[in-house]
Amino acid sequence: MSGEALLGFAAVCQRYEDGSRGLEGCSLSIRPGSRNALLGRNGAGKTTLLLHGVGLLRPTRGQVEFQGRPLDYSRAGLRQLRQRVGLVFQNPERQLLSASVYEDVSFGPLNLGLPEARVRQRVEAALAAVGLTDCRERAVHQLSFGQKKRVCIAGVLAMEPELLLLDEPLAGLDGPMQREFEALLEQLAGQGITILLSTHDVDFAYRWADELHLLSEGRCLASFPARELPRQQALLAAAGQALPAVLGLHRRLADLGLLPAEPPRSLDALLAALDGAAPDLKRNPA
Amino acid sequence: MLIDRCAHASPWRRISPAAKGLFALAALLGAYLAPSPGLALGLASGLALLTLAGARVPLPDYLRAAAPALGFLALGCASLLFSLGGPEGFSPRLLPEALDPAVRLGARSLAALAALLFLVLSTPLPHLIALLRQLRCPEVLLDLMALCYRMLFVFACVFRDGRTAQAARLGHAGAWRSLRSLGLLAAGLLPQVWLRALELHQAAQLRLGDGPLRFLAPNFPRARQELAWAAATSLGLLLGLGALA
Repeated sequence: MSGEALLGFAAVCQRYEDGSRGLEGCSLSIRPGSRNALLGRNGAGKTTLLLHGVGLLRPTRGQVEFQGRPLDYSRAGLRQLRQRVGLVFQNPERQLLSASVYEDVSFGPLNLGLPEARVRQRVEAALAAVGLTDCRERAVHQLSFGQKKRVCIAGVLAMEPELLLLDEPLAGLDGPMQREFEALLEQLAGQGITILLSTHDVDFAYRWADELHLLSEGRCLASFPARELPRQQALLAAAGQALPAVLGLHRRLADLGLLPAEPPRSLDALLAALDGAAPDLKRNPA
Repeated sequence: MLIDRCAHASPWRRISPAAKGLFALAALLGAYLAPSPGLALGLASGLALLTLAGARVPLPDYLRAAAPALGFLALGCASLLFSLGGPEGFSPRLLPEALDPAVRLGARSLAALAALLFLVLSTPLPHLIALLRQLRCPEVLLDLMALCYRMLFVFACVFRDGRTAQAARLGHAGAWRSLRSLGLLAAGLLPQVWLRALELHQAAQLRLGDGPLRFLAPNFPRARQELAWAAATSLGLLLGLGALA
């Protein structure tokens, strides 16, 4: 495991009470300030890994480390960890404790023992960060699914974590909401928050992440920089993931000599590359 | 749900809950102290008008919110007014001597109901819970209130989804099937309650909530002025009722 890792998993095994496997010797590490995506089939162990990251589960073998030290599962140790690592569940209904947006976001900072004025500042800042300032007075049951997810993120952001874990944050969101969410993740990463999220959307993971971690049957098959994904197709297939659509399209266009060999990370980048190549195409349409 | 919707839609939701609570308390006291049924009915009408015109609660919603309480009230008054039994068995008859207490009880209860409706239809429940917290209500009771209130909507949603899924597979085609489906739904909800309780506990733990559920209520920047207004109005109301007595 890398010495500079913020969060590390060293051969972590997890068996549930019914005997089913959660993780099977899973090892990976998360660098500070990086954007990480976990990719894998359903049941690959993505959610289990995230639950281990905040100490909600304890490995049956192996260990989880935060800043190079094994997690302390005492009450005080977990309290310290959870001040620095926040988890947003896939289903917002699972996370929202209060019926009021403002109250729910204030829950974490109040538990940090901050004075009221400081809590109010943090709540306002967190609501502004997720674009929900206008909804502060509303009841959570009046919000849309996407807005509820944002309230969950605000509730975690108000605790100012160093590491944000998100379990399938794009699940259940429509196209425009996914784009808004991506912009929000971009903004959070820009603030220096380390992000680890699980997703089934390989196009998004390739576009957004610095590091990709492929999970299969409780193991981490590989971790590599996202830009290396075009060279990791076999591993991607082993993790049950399709190649990002932009890579398939780019390959065809590169074969036709319309684009350079270096693959773009997104459709927008591919279109921009095509626009750049357009003058040449106009001069030589054949 | 109806009361919650009205409270969140009311422009008076931004008024300090302490001020509205004080006024509602004074109105309740006024209902109790009202010297005549006429005055109690006048107070009830005034409070209803205030809720409809001031707090902008639509009349149909107001009547629907009041209907169950009015039903109980009608039943209570009827039980005072009529005697069902006698030496010769079941023989309902009107008791003329009970007319006066029944009218007095009905009028006072209407005024008290109007006072409570004024408060709950203009104040979202989280604000009322925050007010109770300020008044040093026991934490465990407030935690229960907050969780029950939240769960009410979560389970209403689960119930609705389950019922829709059953209806889509003809689960409610006919009275017998409907009854069976309802039973299955109720049975299915029980494990969901357990699961949800565990999940909420974990969610609270993740945000360091291992004690009482503490939340911060929204700020009411004009709370002092509003409380002063409410105190003056309440005093005026009670003095007015006293003078008319």
